[in-house]
Amino acid sequence: MIPVRCLSCGKVVSAYFEEYKKRTDEGENPKEVLNDLGIDKYCCRRMFIAHVEVW
Amino acid sequence: MDITTKNRDEDKIILIIEGVDVPFVNALRRICMVEVPTMAIEEVDIYKNDSRIFDEVLAHRLGLVPLKTDLESIIPRDECDCEDHCPRCSVSLLLKEKGPKTVYSGDLTSQDPKVAPVHDTIPLLKLRGEEEVELEAIAQLGTGLEHAKWQPTTSSAYKYYPLITIDTEKCEACANCATECPRGVLEFDEKENKILVVDPENCNMCKTCVKDCEMGAITVEGQEDKFIFKIETDGSLKPEEVISTACDILAGKSQKIIEFTEGES
Repeated sequence: MIPVRCLSCGKVVSAYFEEYKKRTDEGENPKEVLNDLGIDKYCCRRMFIAHVEVW
Repeated sequence: MDITTKNRDEDKIILIIEGVDVPFVNALRRICMVEVPTMAIEEVDIYKNDSRIFDEVLAHRLGLVPLKTDLESIIPRDECDCEDHCPRCSVSLLLKEKGPKTVYSGDLTSQDPKVAPVHDTIPLLKLRGEEEVELEAIAQLGTGLEHAKWQPTTSSAYKYYPLITIDTEKCEACANCATECPRGVLEFDEKENKILVVDPENCNMCKTCVKDCEMGAITVEGQEDKFIFKIETDGSLKPEEVISTACDILAGKSQKIIEFTEGES
């Protein structure tokens, strides 16, 4: 499960992860999805890009 | 002192503050970050947890969930005269769920409707099959000095207002600076045959333009008494509330010094 907040700045990232996952799985460009969700700092963006849901 | 709002979102505010110095804005920045109180879950009584997540990890995740805070109606735990916790100093949130499902922050039922999770979609734990979870979480006021979960801001920062000057006598209008600027601060005006500073507030003072100008016609400096001050909150408080509470705290501290010096003389 994705950490609740960004490890660097503390912004809540987990609330948006499921939407990000759904939209990228449907073939949308991750960059556009993140811009759309308002995740503009690079510390928060890596939380999405680097996360792998294992269970 | 002169303040203008440059940008205002739901959880973000960018101000331009003029006529102050670094110690003052830095004091404000630090107080916004670590001294403005917010609500966060501090204690969790776990009655049942069949899921694969450890109790400690679950409690930690719960603690990080931002809660809407009403600073008027609740007092800090250490200022309350109750023994453990009472409705004056804490709010209890209940969670009782049965699998199979993912439990979200929206499933927490708060006893005070004013103190509720900011986001309803934070996944807390996953329940498989018939697994169950039952717990009571107690939220209290606290400050970022004690734990980062109580920080109202997720960014609290300032920078000098950039001052970009182009020496028209030296400039040969090669437009190198405008093409090299990674943030689109400079623009080449073909009609007038000169460089224009179109968006100085977007400048991060990387000085790429200075390096690429062979004539040395361009200088980038920070304006000493003018700042771009940015606050982004986690949603527990509005950005204006954070700043005004921070100012109250700063004023309160100054007042104590005034009272002390008056008592001494």
